Amino acid sequence: MLSENIKKALGPLGLEKVAPGDYAKTGYHLEVAAAPNQMPAVAQVMRDQGCFLESLTALHFREHFTLVYHFAHYEELCRTVVKAVLPLGQQAPTISHIYPGANWYEREVYDLFGIRFTGHPDLRRILLPFEADFHPLLKQFEEEAEKSETKADA
Amino acid sequence: MLEPLEEKTYILNLGPQHPSTHGVLRVVLEMEGEFIVKADPDIGYGHRGHEHMAENRNYLQFLPNMGRVDYLHALAFNHGYCMAVEKLIGLEVPERAEFIRVITAELNRIASHLLWVGAYLLDLGAFTPFLYCFDDRENILDLLDRITGSRLTYCFYRFGGVPQDIDQEFIDGCRAFAKRLRRRWKDYDNLVTKNIIFIERTKGIGVITKEQCRLYGLTGPMARGSGIPYDIRKSEPYSAYPLFDFEIPIGENGDIMDRYLVRMREMEQSLRIIEQALDKLPNGPIMAEKVPKRIKPAAGEVYAAVETARGEFGCYIVSQGDVKPYRIKLRVPSFANLSILPEISRDTLVADFVAILGSIDVVVPEIDR
Repeated sequence: MLSENIKKALGPLGLEKVAPGDYAKTGYHLEVAAAPNQMPAVAQVMRDQGCFLESLTALHFREHFTLVYHFAHYEELCRTVVKAVLPLGQQAPTISHIYPGANWYEREVYDLFGIRFTGHPDLRRILLPFEADFHPLLKQFEEEAEKSETKADA
Repeated sequence: MLEPLEEKTYILNLGPQHPSTHGVLRVVLEMEGEFIVKADPDIGYGHRGHEHMAENRNYLQFLPNMGRVDYLHALAFNHGYCMAVEKLIGLEVPERAEFIRVITAELNRIASHLLWVGAYLLDLGAFTPFLYCFDDRENILDLLDRITGSRLTYCFYRFGGVPQDIDQEFIDGCRAFAKRLRRRWKDYDNLVTKNIIFIERTKGIGVITKEQCRLYGLTGPMARGSGIPYDIRKSEPYSAYPLFDFEIPIGENGDIMDRYLVRMREMEQSLRIIEQALDKLPNGPIMAEKVPKRIKPAAGEVYAAVETARGEFGCYIVSQGDVKPYRIKLRVPSFANLSILPEISRDTLVADFVAILGSIDVVVPEIDR
């Protein structure tokens, strides 16, 4: 079983969480939580296990970002999601030297969220114009809070 | 005696308005003589911010966007998004609806592949196959027009089923179309597959190894051309696909020719699926009984994947218990498929570069989202 092998291989890294997922509900066979600076090691394990990087994205919460990595496998059905909580204003290490396909995904995350990846060879905007001065997928918590306050006053 | 000129590279700008880029894609080519030193694709000209739009409207309001991400295989994107939402709220789809989804999605896949074959050969300088392909494709558009009401940007699936049943005329039309397209294979073989110019331009060009596929996360005909039998319809069966008997064509060498052959054979497999689905079409409702009027999933997340004509489309939805999704990430196949372009186009000629770019089958608005 691939998910067992991955679990075993991830064991020595001392990750926060490695647990089987509820496939019928979420589409994941394995759920992993890691710190951002553990990501290169995690990616290396996934690469050694024969997985490919399916997608890489981020979520913006009020207190932090969460980087979400999806890994899948060509021969065996096993989707692993790895989540790394990244405090606001901090950089995450790149995994583009392990998975060259991550190069564009990290550029996209930088473009949409403004998260920088240390060690990325070419961290430019990818979808928006180079001269854009904003990151469109950042949530605007303060403005929303103000709006709802004024609503409550009226 | 002339002194040799200084050796310098120069920049050649391909696109963003260029017939071979199939949309608004710009590639900055660094050239040394006639050979490419470095190719740098510049994407984003068609960025409409679908993911941002998703956060500003409710689940149903976002549905029409799906037909506009990849307009050539719009029904697969409909399918992926509907599946993800159905998983999120725990909605069962009736069997007849699943069959109708499979039939229409496969018709749409054939239309997409036909358009690729025609437009790709046009890139290589062959005009006639284009007319044949569009002639065949027109039949599909008419069929889908009958039941979905549109010819290109379909929005036909709903959460819990499909809004309109298929009728006898559609069924007869599908069977007649399958018969007609099967008669055409010989023409395509004689006209294209055995054409010496086509063979010379595609054999051994743009080779991608299995390892490269894995490192770049390639899916769809790009991976299958390199001999990886990865097709979501088989490897992660969804909808009614497990009920049908079909094969996954794969290539051996990973060159353009293999990708072409994979797509041609896939069309035949799609015809097989359609015919089996028509034979086995069950009676019953086409919509789930209790579809909530207001969709408000509990906090949680879901990842659902479908196989589009270009590869894996993954829909990642994060809900925080609101009527609007907290985040929707569209994992589109062409984004990863195009990211390998700089690697495989190194040290090739510009003419071959056009052939390689076309063989990726990019739909630029899908990459840009």
